[in-house]
Amino acid sequence: MNPVKDSEPYHHLQGTVPASETGDLRVAQSPVLELRDVCCAYEPNRPAVEHITFTVLQGEILCLLGPSGCGKTTILRAIAGFERVVAGNIALSGQLVSSPDTLIPTEQRHIGMVFQEYALFPHLRVEKNIAFGLNHLSRPQQKAIVDDLLALTGLRGLEHRYPHELSGGQQQRVALARALAPRPVLLLLDEPFSNLDPDMASRMRQDLHTLLRQTKTTAILVTHDHDEAFAMADRVAVLRRGWLEQFDTPEAIYHLPTTPFVADFVGQADFISGLVTNKLVVTEIGEFPNTKNFPTGTKVVVMIRPDDIHIVPTKGADARISARQFKGSENLYTIQLRSGQIVHSSESSLSMYEVGTAIALRVVATHTVLFPQPPGSGTDT
Amino acid sequence: MNTATRFNAPSPLQWVSLVTAAALVLPTGYIMYLALTAAPAVWNRLWSTRIPELLWNTLSLATSVALTTLVLGVSLAWIMVRYEFPGRRLWEWAVVLPLAMPTYVLAYVYAHLLGMGGPTEQWWQAIMGSEAKLVSPHSFPGVTLIMALDTFPFVYLLARSALLNLNVSFEEVARACGVPPWSTLWRVTLPLIRPAIAAGLALVILYVVSDFGAVSLLRYQTLTYAVYQQMTGRYDQSAASILSLLLVVMAIIFLVTERWFRRRSRFYQTSGRFRTSTRRHEGILGTILITAYVLLVFGASFGIPAVMLVQWSIAAVAQGALDARFFGFIWNSSFLSALAAGGAVLIGLPLAYLASRRPSRLNLACLQAAYAGYALPGPVAALAVLVLFTHFVPALYGSVILLLVAYILHFIPVGLQSMEPALQQVTPNVEEVARTLGCTTRETLRRVTLPLIQSGCITAWVLMFLQTMKELPATLLLRPVGFDTLAIRVWQEASEEYYQLAAPSALLIVLLSVPALLLLVAKDWRGRDRGVIT
Repeated sequence: MNPVKDSEPYHHLQGTVPASETGDLRVAQSPVLELRDVCCAYEPNRPAVEHITFTVLQGEILCLLGPSGCGKTTILRAIAGFERVVAGNIALSGQLVSSPDTLIPTEQRHIGMVFQEYALFPHLRVEKNIAFGLNHLSRPQQKAIVDDLLALTGLRGLEHRYPHELSGGQQQRVALARALAPRPVLLLLDEPFSNLDPDMASRMRQDLHTLLRQTKTTAILVTHDHDEAFAMADRVAVLRRGWLEQFDTPEAIYHLPTTPFVADFVGQADFISGLVTNKLVVTEIGEFPNTKNFPTGTKVVVMIRPDDIHIVPTKGADARISARQFKGSENLYTIQLRSGQIVHSSESSLSMYEVGTAIALRVVATHTVLFPQPPGSGTDT
Repeated sequence: MNTATRFNAPSPLQWVSLVTAAALVLPTGYIMYLALTAAPAVWNRLWSTRIPELLWNTLSLATSVALTTLVLGVSLAWIMVRYEFPGRRLWEWAVVLPLAMPTYVLAYVYAHLLGMGGPTEQWWQAIMGSEAKLVSPHSFPGVTLIMALDTFPFVYLLARSALLNLNVSFEEVARACGVPPWSTLWRVTLPLIRPAIAAGLALVILYVVSDFGAVSLLRYQTLTYAVYQQMTGRYDQSAASILSLLLVVMAIIFLVTERWFRRRSRFYQTSGRFRTSTRRHEGILGTILITAYVLLVFGASFGIPAVMLVQWSIAAVAQGALDARFFGFIWNSSFLSALAAGGAVLIGLPLAYLASRRPSRLNLACLQAAYAGYALPGPVAALAVLVLFTHFVPALYGSVILLLVAYILHFIPVGLQSMEPALQQVTPNVEEVARTLGCTTRETLRRVTLPLIQSGCITAWVLMFLQTMKELPATLLLRPVGFDTLAIRVWQEASEEYYQLAAPSALLIVLLSVPALLLLVAKDWRGRDRGVIT
């Protein structure tokens, strides 16, 4: 029961986009989109989102992540100009587009949008759908762009079909090609994979990521699925009840969540109460480094993920296995400690222990995170 | 990027829809006003003389027609949904056809069929002796029969759709609890489709209360007929508006009833996946009985009248009825109907668009105002337009404009019922996507919304065109002198008992109505549960 003391390896992740991935755009590029203190409300006095501030850089892919009703789609629609902001402002390419008394119409914002339901024009063939935003160009120019996009999205041969003659994945590609055709400064995607079956969704995710990089498109993607956000994003904004909880790289969000909500939302997490004594945090399952330098005597909560807890069957030990969930690639054990506290452990898919087995825990604390204990709460968060 | 807009400026469209809505409620409001400010003496005279009798006649007729259609409609729906017999698919459609026959056409055919010295009486007397009498088409049972034969498809359509959407598990549960089939029908099935039946009956009653064609030809005194008589015989507009007020109140009551039950019927039906019942195959005797019953109802309500019309038309054509005058009537009818339907589409579209895209309380109220025409029987719509124009724009009196206004007021609800769902089917996302691709609001409307709702608007136009073509009382009251339409000719020839002369116009009206009716029913049967109002 000796926690590994070093939680350093993940510290460098905080607040930095890995240079290898984006070619260190942070230094070179100006922001494409800036939200400053944005508030939106569908009804007065019932804000949908509050005080949202973030920037998106040229070529970056940002994910807005959160449970349903957290306001992520509202932010997307505010950026598109479909919703007004009641406070704060939004700037696109350095120009003010939304503020409480400014609303540049959507069509002048040069953004692209892919809706959850794709919203293909049912009365137009695939090629006409893609060329819809290219009206200002000549026919040959339109055709050249449409041909490029058909090739890029793998839709060649389908250009004369109507939307209802396409599969879900094909429809999504058309929606994407249509949005990319006018070369938008920013592409907005609202839950683009939620209508596809899981296999298709993960393939499309790969393809979309490649396509966005190839076309150097700046994009914001809304999702409630943290796996999707982690796979796609350069940076992730986690939202809860209209508030921005954390804005950071996927790695930092997972390993160094700044709030218990984020910790819980982006993966399985247990919260164990502890007491700061002598520069260490003492808990029921062991001692952890006091990474946040809380003063001695502070009551804190330690977040720990199941892959850091391992099971050692030990006769006479206090903890017991109370459930096993077979997940194919792993076994997730639910463990009840003597105090009644529940923790989880992820074991290999071949390690099988009976429910009720007495066990000891071996904790390898790579991503423990400390939070001050919320006043009045018990052991479990 | 310079056209920053301020909040909450009412758009021109908003103004258009406000003005339209106001214009559509104005005539109705004005006769309500006239009725309520009429001299007490007029009220007293009407209350002590005409009103009790008229109310009794109207309500008793509505009740007896409702009961007859209840039996006919529910039994046919049950047969079509629960039994399999030769030609069922065809019969399912055939029994809707009576809705294509205006009441004045059915009434005039029956006035001959059941009339004194008519074919049925001769046949009856051959069996029962020369003194035997049949029910007169002008009597209460006669009018009931004719109206019921014309309106039972309303009940049939709603009961059929309710039975089809009924989760058969309810009946199976009852059977599993040991309840025998007959009592399952009474205790489970019928109660479950009760709201749908009630909605159908409310529609039938509304139809009977506002009917003018049949009661005027059969000279049966109802409120609607009395309004017409007050306007033509006595030229008493304040008496007419008092009777109209009563009518409108009644119509609103049944309209609200119908909507309430229709909404309720959704709760009784299972949405999503469920098992429907299987159809029973009957033996030879059962098949013969079922076919005989369906054949009888179809024959009486559509088959025999249609055959009569064809025979008469052939005879009339042989006598040279298809002359230049006849084509003149066709031209008058088509011209007026096309104008009215076109006008109504143009007027209705902004209302429906705003109500579906910006469903604020104001916009929804504007749309509801346009539905006010529903509560106006033909003579009342005519009266409303007439008094309004004679009081404020007398110069237009006697022109076609009055007719057009009355038609639009009267039939715009029919058009809205096609335009509204067409607009609702276009998801706002499709319009928003066009905006992200650089289209202004106006371009979006032109390139996306209008092409997508085109077919809905065409349907609306066709339906309103045919309704206008069939319209009788408002045309009679408001037409310029000597301006005859097909419907007017049918009514006038039939009133004089020139059955053969009336037939070609009547047949033409029926033939034009059949495809539109089938179109409407097909749309309904494709799954969306929307009312079929003819």
